[in-house]
Amino acid sequence: MSKHLRHPLGRAVLVLLGAYVLIEFGIAYLPPLFGIPSGPVPDTVLFQYLGTVVVGILIWVSDNETRWSEFKAPLHKVMVEPEKKRARLALAVIIPALVGLMTFNQVKPSMAAPATLRSIHPAPPGQIDFKGETMELAGLENPLRATGSMEEHYESGREIYVKNCMACHGDGLAGRGHYALGFNPGPASFQDVGTIAQLTESYVFWRVAKGGPGLPNEGAPWNSAMPSWEDFLTEEEIWSVIIFMYEQAGHEPRTWEEEGEH
Amino acid sequence: MLTENLKIIGVVVGTIGLFTLVANSIPQVQSEVPQDLSFGTDVTAAELTASGGLLFGSAGGCTACHGLGTRAPNLLTSNGSEGPIGARCGDRVTGESCKEYLYRAMIEPNVFLVEGYSPIMPDMRRSLSNDQIWALVAYLEAQGGEVTVTGADINQEGEGEAQTTMAAAPVPAGPTSDATDPLEILRANACLGCHVLSGEGAPIGPGFDGIGGRVSADYIRESILKPSVAAAEGYEAFAGLMPAIYANQLTAGQLENVVMFLAELR
Amino acid sequence: MATLAAATGKRKIKLNQNCGRSLFWPALAVFGIASQFASPDLLLAQSLEGVRQYGEFPLVGSRVAIWVAAQVHLLFAAFVLGVPMFAVVAEAVGIFGGDSKYDKLAKEFTRLLLVAYSATAIWGAILSFLLVTLYPGLWLYLTEIFQVSMWIYVCLFFFESFTLYLYYYGWDLWNTGRAKWVHWTLGILLNIWGTAVMFIANSWLTYMMSPPADVTPDTAPGMVQFWSAFANATWMPINIHRIIANVVFGGAIVGAYAAYRFLVARTDEERAHYDWMGYIGNLIAMGALIILPFAGYYLGREIYEFNQQMGITMMGGFMSWLWIIQAFLIGVLFLAGNYYLWVGMGRIPGAERFMPYTKYMLVVLVLGVMVWATPNTMIADREEIAAMGGTHHPFLGVLGVMSAKNTAVNLMILTTFLSFLLYRRANSRPTVDWARTGTIVQGALFVLASLIVVFYGVYGYFVPAIVRIGFSVYQVLAVLATIIGVITIDVFMLRGAESRGDIRWGQMPPRSQYALFILAVTFTWLMGLMGFARSGIRQHWHVWEVVRDTSEYAATPALGYAAIVISCCVLIFFTLVSFIFWLGGLAEKGTKASADSVAATSSTQGVS
Repeated sequence: MSKHLRHPLGRAVLVLLGAYVLIEFGIAYLPPLFGIPSGPVPDTVLFQYLGTVVVGILIWVSDNETRWSEFKAPLHKVMVEPEKKRARLALAVIIPALVGLMTFNQVKPSMAAPATLRSIHPAPPGQIDFKGETMELAGLENPLRATGSMEEHYESGREIYVKNCMACHGDGLAGRGHYALGFNPGPASFQDVGTIAQLTESYVFWRVAKGGPGLPNEGAPWNSAMPSWEDFLTEEEIWSVIIFMYEQAGHEPRTWEEEGEH
Repeated sequence: MLTENLKIIGVVVGTIGLFTLVANSIPQVQSEVPQDLSFGTDVTAAELTASGGLLFGSAGGCTACHGLGTRAPNLLTSNGSEGPIGARCGDRVTGESCKEYLYRAMIEPNVFLVEGYSPIMPDMRRSLSNDQIWALVAYLEAQGGEVTVTGADINQEGEGEAQTTMAAAPVPAGPTSDATDPLEILRANACLGCHVLSGEGAPIGPGFDGIGGRVSADYIRESILKPSVAAAEGYEAFAGLMPAIYANQLTAGQLENVVMFLAELR
Repeated sequence: MATLAAATGKRKIKLNQNCGRSLFWPALAVFGIASQFASPDLLLAQSLEGVRQYGEFPLVGSRVAIWVAAQVHLLFAAFVLGVPMFAVVAEAVGIFGGDSKYDKLAKEFTRLLLVAYSATAIWGAILSFLLVTLYPGLWLYLTEIFQVSMWIYVCLFFFESFTLYLYYYGWDLWNTGRAKWVHWTLGILLNIWGTAVMFIANSWLTYMMSPPADVTPDTAPGMVQFWSAFANATWMPINIHRIIANVVFGGAIVGAYAAYRFLVARTDEERAHYDWMGYIGNLIAMGALIILPFAGYYLGREIYEFNQQMGITMMGGFMSWLWIIQAFLIGVLFLAGNYYLWVGMGRIPGAERFMPYTKYMLVVLVLGVMVWATPNTMIADREEIAAMGGTHHPFLGVLGVMSAKNTAVNLMILTTFLSFLLYRRANSRPTVDWARTGTIVQGALFVLASLIVVFYGVYGYFVPAIVRIGFSVYQVLAVLATIIGVITIDVFMLRGAESRGDIRWGQMPPRSQYALFILAVTFTWLMGLMGFARSGIRQHWHVWEVVRDTSEYAATPALGYAAIVISCCVLIFFTLVSFIFWLGGLAEKGTKASADSVAATSSTQGVS
């Protein structure tokens, strides 16, 4: 057995299996053991990773002449030698059967909606129409940061958040509100470094004001339950809830690049 | 030699094929040209006219009066011997060019009345955006005339009387006003442009007086949201005149207010 | 006064339309007279209204026609501009080093150049005719602004052609002494003309991407300041990016040519020569590729600076998946390039001692490619999305952001460079007494660079985006400094080194040559993809926010569609290139006896 494992072909198979186990199960179940959140890897990503591993394995077995011939030897044997006829026949059945199975799995009718590509943070428009006024988004800062006391803005933002946003986005701002489980895709978690921490306040304003219906096509507007808050909140209320979100989540908004800075 | 060549072709085509396959295996997103009616200053006459044409038959609700019967002048055909609107618009009011006249006719429709017609047209700013109005002007100009509307007209701000009043106009998309009083809602949405209530408004559609005695609240609600579903007795000829825009223009609360108000008019 | 001007202008338009197209030119002359009365915006409307805006190309449509023409022209042009750069360098190496092998190599490069040159011109003509017939409105607009530079372009092209002919046909004539120097100067001149031609053409297309801020849709094209339009925001970044990319591309195509000749070679001498040529081509391509991301970064930054919305469309909008495809292609490049080097170690005596380490480098590369290509937004069906809690994977999502990717790609660059270094070092034994110290310093530099790269990669997660962007610069600088430092030490250390045996040129398994093909195809495809990206971020604008695309093809197509068009361009290019090289081979057969045998005998002496 150990002879087979030392053989390049055996190792190649072993590495491939190991990679599969690691990607399919390791990524999903190992990090939680250390308190790091994780989840199952989507098939597309699994496929992509395994493809890379296969290419790596092929490079490894063929970048050296002796290893390459060793690797090929058993395959060659199965293909031509008379005493391996059974193995050959078995392969002649198994391989087409596998291909057939894969084809069947791909074309069989399924109830699941097809995989979609949804850009979470699509490009914002240069300007939006907010209650009849045109707002330039580029370079726009949160006006409340320049006026009044931050505590007051924070307080009023908190009230607005609790009244309007908490039911979905949750009291911890982690996207785990009362109704969160009813949505797919779920509400955004503002704790995540990939959401508001990556964005300028004007971007967040655009998302809050226009909601799901205001998303461009690549953002799949039909696949978001976020209302257009401009119908319910005033401009100042939106800005103050944004202040609350950043303060509470402990993130700094992304800032605009300085003009002419280089 | 041939084997080598075939192998090379195989590798080249295979690599290209793989890349194509990978690029095609991801979900495809095409960047569409924005269809919103917000024109840059570079908008062409053709774009404006095309958008205006769509508006004329749909959200603008123009065909409700213009083009049918004797309620309003027919714009697309020669009204008598004057030619379609694009040909006659420049001569309506001295000192006003075609587009100036048409724009004014949209926002202050009852200032200049064509002889023989009643002042029944609502201010179009109530239901259309500035860009939409200009698109309509361009479309009308194109009926027998030259389109002179440019991006500069649409995007000019604070110039002239027409534009200053513009700024105060209600927003086009969404509710036209946030009024809660049913009478105000009726006025804000130009309902009284076609329905008479206590002597106010124009008698184009069925009057509102006593409507609660004739039909149910549900019928009123349906008629507001889907005007073309059923026409009142005696008004069958005018089915389809009322624009189906109120689902967008009224908030749910306003709709209910209006429905209840009308249903109680006995 | 303004109304009067407007009225005057309006009447002129009417006149033009009544005249019909046959009277277009006289009508244009009338515009010229009217122009002093009319306001600029009316002028623009007039000059563009007189011509039809768009033509229609049968079957595939205007967009695909102009796309293929531009892309194939660009591929040939890139080859024609890239090859002279290293032909001149190779000739110089031949002159200074006194090794006639390099001179022969330079001449062979130039022969490829000569045959590809006319194809470039033909496709250039196709492109301009298609532009005039399919997009007359845009063409008129651009000529209004760039007419003078178009004349200069033609002149330079003329000079370039004749310099090239002199350079090639004078090769054997001016072969010695001062004449050789004159000949080499011709090569330099050829590069200067070529670069100038490219700079001019770049200004036209970068103007379409980033017109100066003071140009609005109302600006009449004749009123645009020429120099501000010419030297626009993205002009210099594109120039730099393209110069480097041309060298990469030229090297890759030369490598593929050599690989082909290697595979069909009948004698060992030929095999040895083309093995060596393929090695040089690959070396040039991979060497220049290492610095290409920095130029790309500069370009991307300028695009962001020019217009944030354009930048976001490019990186995060509907094009965000394009970068995953690009990452995939770059992964292929890294793997194939390193594979070629590792297989090539089999022909170097002394390389055995490094072979056990290739698998660790392979692991780094494979992990790097995996991280590099991890999408930020994952494709998943609804159950998977529900299980992950969003399209953002809670664990792998960490790898989907810029910090992780920059770290991965920098480590991949370092690994590739290490492959080169081992390859270079394989058959020599340094004789200087500080060899051991030198090697330790080199190793330390590698470790230090990796640590810096990883440190900033991890630290990037804990700082705001604005700070994080700056980190990639530190990572890049660390890698660049290491590359420069290590190669400097190496050059001095291997001076006068003993050889562990001659490189057995030609003893290369054929599968390595297929790696060269994959490299060439991937580079070509990648250029096509980046062309789509550069052109596509303008979206529905001919000239960004100035001239709008009002044709039926205004929408920017999806990636899959683009990929098919790109593949067609690449296939057309490779078919033509094979044909052209085959023709070149025919011509060569007559002079083969003299040329190749000299090259082959000199190359079998080997290099040390």
